[in-house]
Amino acid sequence: MVSMNAVLVISFLLWSVGVAGVLIRRNALVILMCVELMLNAANLNFIAFARMSGTVHGQAFALLVMGFAAAEVAVGLALVVALYRKKGNIQVHEINLLKG
Amino acid sequence: MEKLLATIGQNLFVLFGLLAVGGAGVLIFSKSAVHSVIGFLFSMICVAGCFLSLQAEFLGVAQLLVYAGGIVVLFLFVVMLVELTKYQEQGIFQTQTKFAIPLVGIGLLIFAGVFRAALFGPSAPEALTLQQGLVGATENLGNAQAVSRGLFANFILPFEILSVILLVALIGAIVLAKTERV
Repeated sequence: MVSMNAVLVISFLLWSVGVAGVLIRRNALVILMCVELMLNAANLNFIAFARMSGTVHGQAFALLVMGFAAAEVAVGLALVVALYRKKGNIQVHEINLLKG
Repeated sequence: MEKLLATIGQNLFVLFGLLAVGGAGVLIFSKSAVHSVIGFLFSMICVAGCFLSLQAEFLGVAQLLVYAGGIVVLFLFVVMLVELTKYQEQGIFQTQTKFAIPLVGIGLLIFAGVFRAALFGPSAPEALTLQQGLVGATENLGNAQAVSRGLFANFILPFEILSVILLVALIGAIVLAKTERV
């Protein structure tokens, strides 16, 4: 039997690694992957709370979150490819197309 | 025997979780984008292991299929497509990194302190315990059937919205990645 606190701590660690990655990296691909990491931490909590309450609602919603994550990755990677065509690289600090 | 099984389950979960965090660390701190993707893949596989040790078999397998089978391959395609090698030597972190890293560290430490006080402090509520199984998941009705019943009985509207969003994402990805030909 897995204790709830262990799940919460692990999911907090995963989430904070994701936040740190989004904030300190400048490669757009790595930032997208870190967003996925945070979504996975949320999924872990959904499943743990589903087990705690003994219902399947959390698991069903985790499945939906997985679908949304897939949609987000598809659009995000298309944006990265379009950006690469436009600018020649995907470093986020060089995205200044709106700067007049 | 039951006690031994419970200990093994707990340790497996913690092991997979720590391995997932380690993979995430590789994802953040590696210089090459391909190594980042491999760390991401490892982390996702370990999260699937966590799902399995929480007795969410269907979601564990779905995680393996969606992430290890689909999303990681997509990321690898894009990494190969945008040839990042000439930007490797420019440094991997943000230019404001000497402020960013300590600030991120301080913010996460504050959050960890709040988290610790809420979970393990003197005023913390009694530790939550996980139930043995799911309601509706009996011997002859497995996890997948229970999840699908929950999904289609309670979340039918979000499910339909998800299908529309996936269609929009499909069309949007094609339009965004299309080359501009006249």
